[in-house]
Parts: sequence; structure tokens; C-alpha cells
Amino acid sequence: MGSELLKGFRMLDLADEKGALCGKIFADMGADVIKVEPPAGCSTRRIPPFLEDIPGPDRGLYALAYHAGKRSVTLNLASADGRAVMAELVKRADFIVESFPLGYLDSIGLGYERLNELNPRIIHASITPFGDKGPAKDYKAPDIVTWASGGMMFLMGEEGKPPLQMSQPQAGLHAGAEAAVASMIAHYPREIEGIGQHIVVDMQACVVWTLMNEQAMPLLHGDYLRRSGVFTGAIGGRRKTVFRCKDGFVSGLLAGGAYLPSTNALIAWMKEEGAAPDWLTKEGGLKSLTPAGFMSARAEDLKELDMAEEALERFLMGKTKREIWQNILKRRILAAPVATAADIAADTQLKEREYFVEVEHRGLGRKITMPGAFAKLSKTPVGPAGAAPQIGEHNREVYCGLLAMKPEQLAELRAAGAV
Amino acid sequence: MRRYAFEGIHVLDFTWYGVGPVTTKYLADNGAEVIRIESAARPDGLRLAPPWKDGKPGINNSQFFASYNSSKLGITLDMSKPRAREIFIRMLPWADVVSESFTPKTLRNWGLDYERLSTIKPRLIMLSTCMQGQTGPHRDYPGFGNLMAALSGFYYIAGYSESELCPPYGAYTDFIAPRFSACALMAALDYKRRTGKGQYIDMAQYEAALHNLAPAMIDYFATGRVLGPQANRSERYAPHGAYRCADEDGHERWLAIAVASDDEWAAMLKTLGHPAPEARFATMIDRLENRGAVDEFVGALVRNRNAEELTAALQAAGVGAYPVQNCMDLHRDENLEAFGFWHWLEHRHMGPSPYEGLQHRMSRTPGELRRAAPVLGQDNDKVLGEIFGMTAAEIEQLKQDKVIF
Repeated sequence: MGSELLKGFRMLDLADEKGALCGKIFADMGADVIKVEPPAGCSTRRIPPFLEDIPGPDRGLYALAYHAGKRSVTLNLASADGRAVMAELVKRADFIVESFPLGYLDSIGLGYERLNELNPRIIHASITPFGDKGPAKDYKAPDIVTWASGGMMFLMGEEGKPPLQMSQPQAGLHAGAEAAVASMIAHYPREIEGIGQHIVVDMQACVVWTLMNEQAMPLLHGDYLRRSGVFTGAIGGRRKTVFRCKDGFVSGLLAGGAYLPSTNALIAWMKEEGAAPDWLTKEGGLKSLTPAGFMSARAEDLKELDMAEEALERFLMGKTKREIWQNILKRRILAAPVATAADIAADTQLKEREYFVEVEHRGLGRKITMPGAFAKLSKTPVGPAGAAPQIGEHNREVYCGLLAMKPEQLAELRAAGAV
Repeated sequence: MRRYAFEGIHVLDFTWYGVGPVTTKYLADNGAEVIRIESAARPDGLRLAPPWKDGKPGINNSQFFASYNSSKLGITLDMSKPRAREIFIRMLPWADVVSESFTPKTLRNWGLDYERLSTIKPRLIMLSTCMQGQTGPHRDYPGFGNLMAALSGFYYIAGYSESELCPPYGAYTDFIAPRFSACALMAALDYKRRTGKGQYIDMAQYEAALHNLAPAMIDYFATGRVLGPQANRSERYAPHGAYRCADEDGHERWLAIAVASDDEWAAMLKTLGHPAPEARFATMIDRLENRGAVDEFVGALVRNRNAEELTAALQAAGVGAYPVQNCMDLHRDENLEAFGFWHWLEHRHMGPSPYEGLQHRMSRTPGELRRAAPVLGQDNDKVLGEIFGMTAAEIEQLKQDKVIF
């Protein structure tokens, strides 16, 4: 267990849901990631839902997912003793990631300047919801607030109805992964020159980055995109992206440009099964589909596009996701089933690649099945190094091992409420 | 001391569309010399997609392409021609990294798989990223990030209900996968520096993206429960959602609010000028059990108010809130401005063009958008002449033969 890729490097993880994925990625790459938690446990342990809907600090699905492979120690940073222990940890660490309110670490004497004095090699990533300079820098930012500030929320849903979240909140995951990338960028010169640095991650900007080509639209095309349910489109185009089928939904597009061969293959399939209206299969039947125009359509062609989309949905309604998927693969159609967790768990491709892995959770006395390697590396395979730790599971190991405390010192710290 | 983190690192980059170019952009913006190898015979599809300078399509006019290719050099080689492949093999010893994002058979057909390349260039690091990975029955599945977002479960967890799915905009997984491939690539570079060993990285965008749904997958494997669209429902915040405020300039305006505790709820009522405590919604349990009524209640309180003013007032009272911003709002957002997120770069064909900057800032070796994206074949003479020592006559002949194309 444990990848060779970052073996020997250590990260102190003090991030909440704005950055837990950072330490998870590092743990997957073989770093020793130590979660430094308050004595009552990190707030992420209280994020519902819980395994089998039974609350408990080891049972949160979020914590099970994003703390996997980390070690855990408890430390009370509000106490002077706790901060002294933290300083000792910092001397033995290569990375720190945290998402405290701005100024908190400075206020307890553990800001970047101090960390840098303790260990000039340290790479310190601070994850902030709105950066560290603007008027909102001290704002509270639950995930949905950042989703809104970064623009993705505006584009999800129907106009006139509330803009939407993703039902598995995403903004903090983007920020955590960005902190991992930035830490790796800083790692490379640090290993050559021996000097670390401070990183500020802007979570709002991370959400803006997910908007693909839309962010520049207002500046270059003079307007901004409205949300439109299952329809998509750069401004001026309009295409349905989700179609009903017999047992669920399928995503695809009737579009030109790079989609044209796929659209033709889809129409050919409908024709083979007698489901394509005559006008649709005639040469030039769908006037809005051209090699040059991916999504653009003249207003007068939109009506026939609607009719084509209706015909396609009628066709798909007679087929299951599985049948459609087999035809997508066989006919090289640019489409995909709208997969549920059940579909993904049963997927033959992921099975063939042995993607999902089981890790043994000591506290729960059971195995947890979870996503495995995010990439396959030929010399240094990566992937979950173990299950999520219990609160303070590694206190003795870390404090008496890494910091070489005597058991009575640890007992004293415990009695003083520092650990 | 180095100015950029990856100074001196050389990348030959065959990637196209989103995930690959965004991955190598991290290296390029941090000082690596990244040579994108393109061809007019098979252009990157993003070069053909909007937004365009002045709204006019053109292969050198797309900001979509430009956004993901800042700081890179661009050359054109038509790799379907054997001589182009010979030139690539001549270039190979220069490279620390080769990257590509075609469907798996493409490089094999060119005879440029990792096995062969690493024989010619020992210690090479190579990144291949495609939809579903280099092995397995679906390895040759072609697609884009919007389809991957459907296939990897994101479409199904977004919407008002199962009959009203409302997927995330665009090629959503294209903005998840690159951070994983960038981490792997950078760690592999450091591993090679330390151990002398190169390696091959096979990143399936599917397998990277699923990490953003890990809790739902753990839940399914443990209990069989399938996460579906929850509208704006949360199990830990109430209220939690977007609430319509007063229209502005004739357009609807929404405010996102998430209330984490009873204290925050009391602070919110006070801020919104609601006189009496609302007994039926006093506790989090009350509010979670009556979400619909809470949403209606909050909706009525904010309906005719100004979203910006409410944001400032609610945040001052310790309540998480922010306007739901459209793409125009983002360009006026003072926080993005203060972070230095937006940049105008001089593009050879498009002139001054708007780029998104980095989503992080570093104190010692900050990355930056070192230059605008290249026009097609912009650096042919410089790269093939100055770096690889070809004569002007040789380059001219290759252009005539459409090998450089």
C-alpha cells in the first residue's frame, strides 16, 4: 500500500471541505498526509449523508471519500502547547494545506512568515473562497455560495426558476485539486533550490474556470448565456442534450461541425429501424447541420431541428440505456447514457481496468469500496493508500514516533487539552 | 534562482481540445517550453469553436482555443506523412515529456507508442489521456467532456427532479481531469529528477472525474442507494438555495443563501427586518423538515430587495450569501479583479484578447500567462530552425511538400 511516487514527503492537512481533496490526491500519490484535527474532530466529519444514515465521526460519506489514506492526529491550536507541537510538526513537513479564515493562522502565530522561519522548505497552500484581497475576502462561503459567485449556478436550471447546485457539492473539490496542482508546481523548484513558498488558491476563480468558453462570450459576442434546462448552446444555437429512453436518459446532440459524422450515424441508425421521417434522411434534410456549423442554426431552421429532436426521442424511448450504449460504441456516435451510480458500478470498462478498490476501515470493522487510481502510472502506481482515519488514530504513532515524545509527555499534553 | 518552476523542462505536446491542453498549460505558464504540434490537416476542434474575435469564425480567431494554450509554442506537422514522423523522432531527444490526447489507436498507428519512444529516448515521461483509458473494451470511445459528464454521473445529480434534469454547463469533466493529470505529470517529473526513471501515464478522464462523485459511489457500493437530483436541497443547511431578488435592468436576479445554524437563522431574520422570531422554523430540524415552506418564506422576504445590498448585509451578520452571477457579472466582480484573475494579452491575429488567469497565486515562482496562444504554425521557423537546427531551405521544402502543414 502507498505509492512510491511521493514517498518520503509529508503534508500537514488542516483543510476543511474547501480543500480535503488536496490531501487525498497527495495520499494517493504516496505522501504521508497527516490530518491535524481539533480534539472534537474536523468539521468535515459532520457532513451528511452518513453511511447507512447513522451519524458518527467515522461514518460521513464525504470524510470516508476525501480523508482516505491520511493519518489523523488531534491538536488544539487554541492552546500554546498545541501550537508548540504544531511548530514541531511543521519542521518535519514538506507541505501544509489549510482553509482557515484569512488572518487566523497569523493571529495564533503560525502564519506563513513564521512557518517559513520554522522550515524554509515548507510549501504552504491557503485555500480562500474569494481570494485574499477583494471586498469579500472574509465572507462566509458554503459550497453553494461559491458555486453562485463563480457563475456555474447561473447556467444550471430553467430561466424563471431557481438556478441549481450539483447534488454532490463541487466548488471545494475544484479548489482542493487546484491546491494540489499548485503545491506540486512549487515542489519542483523547492527540491532543486531548497526553498518553499506560499500559495493562495481562489475558489471562486476555480468555479469560473469550469465555464469553458462562456466566460469570454460577453466580451467578444456582447451577450451572456442564459440557463435553459436540458438545452445547451453557445449564444445563437440551441440543442437538446438529454433525451428520454426506455429506462432512463441518454445524452447526445444533433449538431454539425465535429458532431456531423456522429449525427449522420445516428440518423442512419434511425433509418435502419424505420424510425427516421422521410424528410430527415433526404440529402440536406436537416439544413442546420453543416460541416462548418457546430451549433449555429438559422432561426427558420429551428423548427425542423425541434422536429428532428422529437423524432430522435421517440426512437430512443423504445430502447434501454444498455442497447443505446452498445450502438453508440458500435456506430461511433457521440452520445452517452446519463449514468447513475448503479450504472457506473456495473460498467464493464471500469471492471476491466479494476478501477474500484476496497479499503479496510478499522474503526467501522468493514471494507469500503471507492474510486481507485485517478491515473495509471507505469512505474509508480497511485491510488487510495487505505481508509479514512478515526479521530486521533495516529496520535501515538506521530507524536511518539515522528516527534519522539515520551509517553508521559503525550499524557501531559492530553491532560492539558492540547491533544 | 529560477524565475519559473519548470524552467528548462521541454514538452512535445500532441494534445487537443480541453483536458490535454489545460494540463500542459500548467507547465507552460510555469516556464516549461511546450511545443504544441498541430496540423491544418486535422485542426484542434476548439480552433473552430466560439467565442471568436469580432464574432467572426476563423482558425486563428477562437478564444476558446486560445484560453487553453497560453505560453505555448505552436508548430504544424501533418503526422499522417512519414516525413513528419521522422522529424518528430529527431525532436524527441530534446523532450522530457510527450503528451497526447487522441483515441488510443492514433499514436499506435503512427508507430509512436511509448514502447518505441522510450527506446529512442530513455527516461521519457509520456502522458496519454483519453475518455476511458488506453485499455479495456471501451478504450476507443470518442467523445467530449459533456458526454463524459453524462457517463460519469454528473448529469444525473443535477436538476429539479428526475423528470427535470438540468445538467452542468459545457464539458464539465474537462475541468476536473486536468488537475489530476497535472499532479501526476509534475510528480513524475520530480520522480525522474530524483531517480532517473521516466514512465508512462494513462489517464482516463472517466476515472479522474469519478473522484468528484466519490461519496455517492461509496454510498452505492455500501447500501445500494443511488444519488439523484436534489434540486437545491441540503442535509446540513436550511435555508439552502437561490432566492429571487428584485430584477435588475429587466433581468432576473438571484441570491444564493446557505444558513448553517439557528444563530445564523436568527441573524438572517434580523437583517431582513423580519420582526418576530418565526417559531415554526426556529430550529435546524424544523427548517430541514419544512424546506419547501422555508424556501417560500425566505423567497418572499427577499423578492423585492437588491441582491448586492442583501449580500453585504447578510455577510456582515455572519450569513453565507452571494449573488448568482452571470458571465457578464464575472467581469465586474471586484474579488476576481482584486485577485488579478483577468488578463488581456496581445494575440498575433486577434490583437488584445481576454484570458482567464491562474486560479492560484504563488509567492516565489509565480506562474503567469507568458504570452498569448499561438496562431497555427506560428513558431515553425523558430522551433525547427533555432531549436532543431534545420536550414531555411529544408524548412521551405517541408512547407512545399505539406509536411509542415
